[in-house]
Amino acid sequence: MILDSLKLDGKIALITGAGRGLGRAMAVTFAEAGADIVAASRTQAQLEQTAAEVKQTGRKCLIVPTDVTNSEQVNAMAAAAIKEFGRLDILVNNAGGGDDSAARPIEQITDAEWRRGLDTNLSSQFYACRAVLPQMVKQQRGKIINLSSGYGLRGGKHNYMYVCAKGGVIQLTRTLALTYAQHNIQANCIVPGIFPHGGENEQMMKFFKGGKFIPVGRLGEDAELGPLAIFLAADASNHITGEFIAIDGGGLAGGISPTGVVPPSSH
Amino acid sequence: MASGNVLDGFSLEGKCALVIGAESAVGGAAAVALAEAGAKLLVASQEPGTDKALKEVAKAIQAANGNKTTTRTQNAAIRAELSATADLAVNELGGLHILVNALDVPAFGPAEEADDTSFERIIENNLKTVWMACQEGGRVMLKQGSGSIVNITSVLAERGVPNAVLYCAAKAGVLNLTRALALEWARRGIRVNALEAGWLDDESSVAAKDAEFGKTLLKYLPDNKLIKPEELGGALIYLVSSASSFVTGESIAVDGGLRARV
Repeated sequence: MILDSLKLDGKIALITGAGRGLGRAMAVTFAEAGADIVAASRTQAQLEQTAAEVKQTGRKCLIVPTDVTNSEQVNAMAAAAIKEFGRLDILVNNAGGGDDSAARPIEQITDAEWRRGLDTNLSSQFYACRAVLPQMVKQQRGKIINLSSGYGLRGGKHNYMYVCAKGGVIQLTRTLALTYAQHNIQANCIVPGIFPHGGENEQMMKFFKGGKFIPVGRLGEDAELGPLAIFLAADASNHITGEFIAIDGGGLAGGISPTGVVPPSSH
Repeated sequence: MASGNVLDGFSLEGKCALVIGAESAVGGAAAVALAEAGAKLLVASQEPGTDKALKEVAKAIQAANGNKTTTRTQNAAIRAELSATADLAVNELGGLHILVNALDVPAFGPAEEADDTSFERIIENNLKTVWMACQEGGRVMLKQGSGSIVNITSVLAERGVPNAVLYCAAKAGVLNLTRALALEWARRGIRVNALEAGWLDDESSVAAKDAEFGKTLLKYLPDNKLIKPEELGGALIYLVSSASSFVTGESIAVDGGLRARV
């Protein structure tokens, strides 16, 4: 039965950046789909809130405070997950994010800022994949889901580090997909459009204008992202690997003219 | 979004679906997947003279969900027939929420030997039929104010293959038609997405028909496996269901990683 192939019963899912926003939403949604959760992020208190929400679904949640830009901590995170549950089926590399103050003219960007931008959004994902893959190879089974961005596929003015790192995520994913295909491990990317996370950032909400510039005319809702992550974590996607899937209300399908600007009819 | 458990969003319970090109392995498997997920179906053919194949699909659907399914043999190259099929779907099922276009007639041969009739035939079989089916299904969906269309194309849409120039062009046409239509109908409640199939493991597939080609291909594929038609089912269910409510103009390749390699 095809709907059964979307269930995550008995799976162990490690999610980074799970202390808030989309990461927390994904942790809870994975638990609803049947998985036990390992939640990682920097802040213990936020993780505890995530764990409380996960446990309400009846699933287990191990919290592992982790700075994902520190590879020793990332190795320890993977080890703690495997020690607790004896296996690891799904890795979601969700930690990361843009830093608006970092988007500046190139001559003002320091070496340290460049490295920090790449560490936050690319090295972190590389470290986590490297840490979990030996276990997945041992199992001859595994799913890796990396969060990229529309900026991983298109450029953004002054946005050097984020764009390069998120583009790198797509290439990292393809390389993992090819390397581990024969071990029954699939690696794919989610390319999210704009998800305002309940509108917590007022300044950003002003900038988003309710999604007027998005083809479907609205912003994404956090709850809409979960099903895609579940699909990519479940057996239903076993023949999809090295792929990226945009969930962006049509944004990346266009871009040749501004949304709402239509060439006049010629017939 | 469906409330309650997140997995409910993938269910097609209460949805009315039309599959065009259901006599093929891919179209038939798509129809069965939709039925398993709970949809009510009308299955229609791409080509006339396919009654027997459609009846087999109807039987498989009944085995999957117990429903009797109407079949309609038609020629998808004729607009009036597609138009009548879309209307029949609404009359029989009570609406049209899902349209899957599994319209495909593979064509291989040297470019220099293709004449103008080859061009017209290959583009008609693989692109014009999809266009007309989108328009006719879209006509109904626009009136309804909602719908989800999935056009099944091939990974050849994004890569060149020798000896298949017109087929590649048609498949690429389907992909970009999908994007442009998605943008045009984005604010009218209709999502349009594509599914790109990898090299297929089926008796109708060129990989099966030519043993030597198939063998070479297997070595080249990242997981050394061809794609079985039913393995497209998961991505199809995701794309047609409310689980993908913020996804439009996108394509998902089910190709075992083929498109990721150099």
